[in-house]
Amino acid sequence: MDFTLPKEYELLRRMIRDFARQEIAPLAKRVDVQEEVPREVIRKAAELGMMGVPFPQEYGGMGAGELGYCILMEEIGKVCTSTATVIGAHTGIGAMAIYLDGTPEQKKKYLTPLARGEKIAAFALTEANAGSDAAAIRTRAVRDGDDFILTGSKMFITNGPIADIVSVMAVTDPSLGPRGGITAFIVEMDWKGCSVGKVEDKMGIRGSGTSELIFNEVRVPKENILGQFGAGFVTFMKTLDVGRVSLGAACLGGAQAALERSIQWAKARTQFGKAIVHNQSIQWMIANMATEIEALRSLVYRTAWMVDTGQPFTRYAAMCKLYGSEVASRCISQAVQIYGALGYSRDVEVERMFRDARIAEIFEGTNEIQRIVIASDIMRQEGVRISP
Amino acid sequence: MRIVVAIKQILDPEGITVNRRRERIFINREERIINPADKCALEAALRLKDAHGAEVIALSLGKPAADDALREALAMGADSAVLISDKALAGMDAPTAAMVLARAIERLAPFDLVLAGQTAADTGGDQTAGRLAELLGLPQVLQALELSLDGGRLQVVRLWDGKPVRAAVSLPALVAVSPLAPPARYPHGARIMNAYRQMQVSVWTAQDLGLTPEELTPNIESRGQVFPPERELGTVVEGPPAQMAGEILSLLRMRRLI
Repeated sequence: MDFTLPKEYELLRRMIRDFARQEIAPLAKRVDVQEEVPREVIRKAAELGMMGVPFPQEYGGMGAGELGYCILMEEIGKVCTSTATVIGAHTGIGAMAIYLDGTPEQKKKYLTPLARGEKIAAFALTEANAGSDAAAIRTRAVRDGDDFILTGSKMFITNGPIADIVSVMAVTDPSLGPRGGITAFIVEMDWKGCSVGKVEDKMGIRGSGTSELIFNEVRVPKENILGQFGAGFVTFMKTLDVGRVSLGAACLGGAQAALERSIQWAKARTQFGKAIVHNQSIQWMIANMATEIEALRSLVYRTAWMVDTGQPFTRYAAMCKLYGSEVASRCISQAVQIYGALGYSRDVEVERMFRDARIAEIFEGTNEIQRIVIASDIMRQEGVRISP
Repeated sequence: MRIVVAIKQILDPEGITVNRRRERIFINREERIINPADKCALEAALRLKDAHGAEVIALSLGKPAADDALREALAMGADSAVLISDKALAGMDAPTAAMVLARAIERLAPFDLVLAGQTAADTGGDQTAGRLAELLGLPQVLQALELSLDGGRLQVVRLWDGKPVRAAVSLPALVAVSPLAPPARYPHGARIMNAYRQMQVSVWTAQDLGLTPEELTPNIESRGQVFPPERELGTVVEGPPAQMAGEILSLLRMRRLI
């Protein structure tokens, strides 16, 4: 067993770390306050291949696989969760759906500009009445000659306000249900009938735009069916599986940053005549954080290795998302505690990190859904079928 | 145009703390990087390549680990890379190192331009560039900030007494680039992958360069390290220039120095 990171990934990590520190970190507060990741940052990241890390170079990607993508998400997650979310929704789910199930023509036409960061992707599944119960979607796609007419609205879509290309799930045959009756489509947002609805006013990740997407009789050519007709549910579940690994990596970055801030502050802050780092209470918090972070790091990178080597990884991806979001929330909460009253002030980063972390326990499948995924996979091996 | 850039791999100075009281240097984090001034030299070469087209060859003398520095140079945009590495080359002094590099650069001839960093952030000897120019019989420009090609001549903005001045030199020439020159670009992620997966670093030994044991015997012997005495912080004068000059004048008068 060899846990050494291959050399190219060490250099990649160093490049991304430098970029994150120099180009993203100084803007993190502004991104939160002005509720926008500057397009200039996305353009610079794209020029270095960061908008298409896991995709093959023949489609404009970096060719660094899930491992490279997790490194990116960890390093950016350390400095700005909003920026990590924009890149994550674009790469990890929006473009990922096209990479996993697109035809060679679709990949050439859509994945290439997405991987190069010339266009921004989003992933549209959730609706007002279909959150955890994703199969309950009502957006309809009705056949009309060689095209489909898409009508409905999607909610809480990350990158909704800025997306050019969206992977959308719609009902094509209501009588068949999730297996056979739902199809995925690639939709260009500048097509007639596509519009952006209400933009959410969120607790955290405020720099990442989340909105409603409205499809009003949008004509979608049949070439834009993503994956098998009627198998959209499979495409989307498969995509979400992969997305969960890198989400875990972004959480790992957030948790690591919280630990680093905690250590810095505990060394600097003096009370009762000594630095608070000499208090056992603080040392225990730091030891707990460091231990959980190390366990998470092993889980995330081993799962990335499973993805890259073509092994089944659904259970472990759910664990990355579940454990990652909880470790990040716990570590950042402890960092706020170590900072004391200052940690509650908008003057320090841990306050923003605290607001930013909470969403990871909810989006891309709530942590309750992750537990169902993990339990179902365990029980399936025991010959028990669990229905949600 | 063929440009040879000499780069040195060093321990990241950010990972090192110097404890004056105990007269010891502690290595907290062992991370190897391209010497910052050498990285600026590489950037200067790549800018010439972007503007006029050039073949950039990265050259390094060091341990096998310096392979990583050369891969980074390839990822940044260098066309090829050569590592001079040999056990016989361990423990070299500055004159010997310059001689070995010069021998390798001669082997890379013909070339139009040799670039090196002005100073190494580890040893701080400031010797390699000047010695290389002498050994190769090339005109030299030191402390360069910006390079541009104008006809057959190289226009250089260089630091002179802390101020930028213009200089011109005919090619072939050697230019030492200041660590204050424009910072290096980030390497493209895909090139990082390819630098390790597809590109090659040639390795040359002492024998390849026809170096004899006599030539490699160092002139300088290391007898340990001592710490210079700590300098006391003087009086800091701040404010507009005229006011500062007045304050300094009265300080000098008070101490009866003028």
